[in-house]
Order: sequence, then structure tokens, then C-alpha cells
Amino acid sequence: MLTMNNINKVYQTDMVQTHALRDFNLQVDEGEFIAVTGPSGSGKTTFLNIAGMLETFTAGQYMLDGVDVGGLNDNQRADLRNQKIGFIFQGFNLIPDLNLFENIEVPLRYRGIKAAERKRRVEQRLEQVGLASRAKHLPQQLSGGQQQRVAIARALAGEPRFLLADEPTGNLDSLMARQVMELLEQINREGATIVMVTHDPELARRAPRNIQVVDGQLADFTLYQGNPAKAVGV
Amino acid sequence: MSELKPIFNALCRSKVGAILLLLQIAITTAIVSNSAFIISEKIAYIEQNTGYPEQDIFKFEVMSFGESIDYMRQGELDEAAIRQMPGVVDAVMVNSVPLSGGGSASTFSLGPTGEKRKGVNASIFEADSHFLNTFGVKILEGRNFTESEVSVVEEYSQYPNIGLITKAMADELFPDGDALGKTLYQGDRPMQIIGITDVMKGPWLQSERRDRSAILPFVFAQKLTLFSVRTEPGQRAQVMQQIEQHMSSLESKRVIEGLQGLDEVKADYVAPDRLTMRMLLVMIVVLTLITALGIFGLTLFNISKRTKQIGTRRALGARKSDIIRYFLIENCLISVVGLTVGSGAAILMAQQLMKHYSISQMPLFYVLLTAVGVLLMSLLAVVGPAKRAANISPSIATRTI
Repeated sequence: MLTMNNINKVYQTDMVQTHALRDFNLQVDEGEFIAVTGPSGSGKTTFLNIAGMLETFTAGQYMLDGVDVGGLNDNQRADLRNQKIGFIFQGFNLIPDLNLFENIEVPLRYRGIKAAERKRRVEQRLEQVGLASRAKHLPQQLSGGQQQRVAIARALAGEPRFLLADEPTGNLDSLMARQVMELLEQINREGATIVMVTHDPELARRAPRNIQVVDGQLADFTLYQGNPAKAVGV
Repeated sequence: MSELKPIFNALCRSKVGAILLLLQIAITTAIVSNSAFIISEKIAYIEQNTGYPEQDIFKFEVMSFGESIDYMRQGELDEAAIRQMPGVVDAVMVNSVPLSGGGSASTFSLGPTGEKRKGVNASIFEADSHFLNTFGVKILEGRNFTESEVSVVEEYSQYPNIGLITKAMADELFPDGDALGKTLYQGDRPMQIIGITDVMKGPWLQSERRDRSAILPFVFAQKLTLFSVRTEPGQRAQVMQQIEQHMSSLESKRVIEGLQGLDEVKADYVAPDRLTMRMLLVMIVVLTLITALGIFGLTLFNISKRTKQIGTRRALGARKSDIIRYFLIENCLISVVGLTVGSGAAILMAQQLMKHYSISQMPLFYVLLTAVGVLLMSLLAVVGPAKRAANISPSIATRTI
């Protein structure tokens, strides 16, 4: 599903050169649920951005679902993001001027899906996250947990094969965090591959596979549950 | 991809900025279209055909102070002497200069006082038979005066009873086109029309009577006498340079004043209109710039406010072109509503201007042209900020800003 070989990311300013990722290697198989942990500034977000094609990398090779990402131009990366990846952000990143229905259909519009099909998919996902009755509400009329569920619905609406979650429960209280985590686990059981960046060791422990990023490198991995064979992907 | 509906919905939910911009576009459209129309009217007014070869004609006044001067005789001598000058086509002593804003006028009616007949107010030029040639005006019908028909007197008892009138005046009084030979009345004084002239504007370009003039064969020289001279093309400056000395050589007890080309006379007369026109032009440019800057600023503000949103859209699969299109569509929506409101306001404004000032009805063409211009300007103003928005990295979506 996702293979990174010797990925390097260097941020260059006039004065300083910062290695955010250094010879980073990772393989993620289809259907995995991986938690990425690590201290602040370790390169977790850079890894997430490169995995999600939100940033380009300086050197190495990144294959996503058989596509060599390094050779793509900006438009091709945008299209691939839209088709293959669903994003869940820590701050939900819902568009405040759009209601829930319109928020969820944003990626579908960028894919050029027809209105009737968009409606079907949006309603299905709203139903799945238990917010079907709130379709016309604006994000600010919802609680944090509800907003994150809408963000998950938006990530799922495009039926991506790969979900990238950036601290999905970081802005939620423990009850809401648990609900969101349960939703992610359910989505994983239904077949989606999930890579989740988190600070929370409790949350990380719930993922079948953990990896830790330290100083831009993969430092360690621990298998808590699931198939040991999958864990030896590094 | 059609984003029209969500953009419209989003605009409806955060209206303030959009409404302010919409009002600015509406006001600009209303004011610019009316100003553009007034400017075009002014240009047409300033550049109207006066009927004269203005570049070849000049005028001057002679103020005599010699007690023993016989003004009538001296006037005739002066005319004859000027006509002999090299480069001069013709010269005439006249009571007023066309396009100068000063002269005499009277009402000419189809019947004498007491009879309720149609009449029009017209400018009066009093001169000898050289008037038409001096001003380069053609006779369309009938004939010019003969020398013997010209009254050269110092009193009005021998006022002439024949005259020439302009075609415009003839058409107004005699719509059937049979003016020639007919008699008009200045009060009880009859005047038979012996000739009809081509276009020639009177002293007042702004007045209703600008196209109506009567030329009477009457010469009345006084202390202050007015001369007009036409030269060969390109010779005017030279003749104007020599005229003062030439006139002094004929009679020294007098001064020459107000030496001026007819084009300069006209330029002085239309100077306030030219000023109005320039001020309106400056206003149009300033207003358009302010609106463009308003759109530019508001879009930049929107971008900085929506940086995270734009990054999120990019992360969700928006191409750079989608982001540019988003801002263009948003701007178009605001502009179209603003232009619709502005067009209505422009028409209302034009009606009020027509009602309260002497401005003719503005053709809708001006509103349409202004609307298209403002739309293009607003799109141009939004392109730069929209491109900047498109360059926002999708990685902003995961960063805290």
C-alpha cells in the first residue's frame, strides 16, 4: 500500500539546513492500522505530510498504491490525494461557511462526481457517523467530537484506500476521543488502511502496530496486537 | 467542476464583506456610467462642427481715441487695407464674433407684433457682404447681399429689410423647406430672406439658438470696432503678428486689443466644459482604482483569513486552478449582483440628472459598457490574490497557524 525507501526531507533556509526526515524507511500493508508516535519536532508531521503528498521530499522513493509519487507534478499529486487518501486533522479543518453536507461533498466535487451520486455518498457517511439529522448545520453548531466525526465522514466520502489521521483526538475530551477512536477502529475493520499520528500512548496502544519517529528516523516499533508478520515491515 | 452553489451559500452566510464590495461596485457602476455619458456629451459638444475654418480665422478689436476720426469711413478703409495684406483671404467688420459668448440676439417671427405666429430666438450678425467669405460659410440657397444693399450708417433708422438665415433656422420656421423669399419680423420690422447659409454656429454654443443665426447687411462702426480676418491656411500667425502695426499705420490714434484666433476664442468659451470633463475623467479613474483596490484588498484579506481552509481544500484534492477558480467565481457572483444593482442605480441617476439639469437621456449602451468594464476590472483585481491563494501549500492543513 505504502512504501518509503530512504526518504529524506531537508528544510533549507539561508542560515540553517534542517533534516526533518533522514533515510526514512517504512512499508505499510493494506488494511493495517498504524500509530505513529514520537516527541515534538521528531518529524511525525513531516512524515504525515509526505505520506499524504502535502509536501514533497528531498530524496528517496515513495510508492503509494503502486504509483511512484516522486515523479508526479502538482496536479497529479492533487488528483492522487483526492482519489487515494482521506485526511483527518487534529483541528477538524471543516470549512466554517459550509454546512455539514457541503463540507463532506468538498472532495467529491473536486473529483467531479455528479450531484446525485454526491448526495448518496454524503448521506451514507453522515448516517455512518450518526449525524444524518444535522446535515444543514454549520460546523460551529456542533461539539468538537461531532465536528471530528464530520471530518471522518468527509475523509471517507471519497472511499479512499488510505486514511491519514493527524492527532485525531488531540482536541477532544476522553469520552469523545474514545468514540472517535472506536469509529476509526470500525473503519479499519471494514478494510481501510489507517496511519495515525498521535501523542497519546493510550491511543497508540489501541493500534495493532506502533512506530516511533525520533530525529527524523524510524527508531522503534512495537506490536501490541494483530499479525506479527505485518509488523516486520520496516 | 461547478462550485457555484456552495460559494453562493458560503457568501450568504458571511455577508458583510461581500455586501460592502457589492455596494462599492454598484456605486462605481452608477457614477462611472453617468460620468462617461456626460464626458462623451462634452466631447461631442467641444468637438462639434462650428461651420468655420477656426484655424484660419482671427479677430481683434480696435479702440479709437482720436476725436476727429470718422469711424464709418475709417472702418471701410481698414477693411479694404486688411483685405490687401498678403496671406489674407478676406476681412470684415462685424458686431460680434461667433463662438465668443458675446453678441446680440432677437426673436424672428412669421408675423409682426400682435399676430400670434411662430417665432424663434436667433443670433444676429451685422456685417457687409464679406461676412460669409471671411467666415468660410457657404450659401446653400438664394444669394449673398450686394454692396449696394449694405447700410453703412451710424444710426438704426436705416436698418435693412433683407437678410440671410442659417439652414437650421429656416428648417425650424419653414418645415416645408420654402423659406427663401419669405418675410420674418423682428417686432414690427420686416426682413425678407434672400439667402440660406450652411451650418454656422452663433456666439453661444451652449444656447438653444446656437444653430439659428441671421446675418443682416448693416455696418455700424463706433469707437470700439470688431474685425474678423480669414487668412490662407498656415498664414494666420504671420498676419496676426503684422496686424497691429498695419492698423496703426492706417490711423495711429487707436489701440488694438483682444487679438485672438477663432480656435482660441472657442477654447476660452468651452474651458469650463473642458474642466468639468477632466474632473469627471479623474473621478472615474479614482473611483475605478478605489474599487479595484477594494476588491484586491478584500480578496487578500479573505485569503489570509482562509489560509487554513485553502490548505485543507488543497489537501482534499483541489488543484491550484480550482483555488483560482473559486476566488474568480466568488468575485463574479459579488460583481454580478453589484452590477445589477449599479445598473438600476445608474438609470435612476440618469433620470434625475435629466430632470434637474440639461442633460440628455443616457443610452443604455453606457451602462452596459460600464458594467462590462467594471466586471473585467474586478476580475483583473482578483487574479493576483487568487494566484497567491493557489500557491498556499496543502501542508498548511496539518500545521498550527
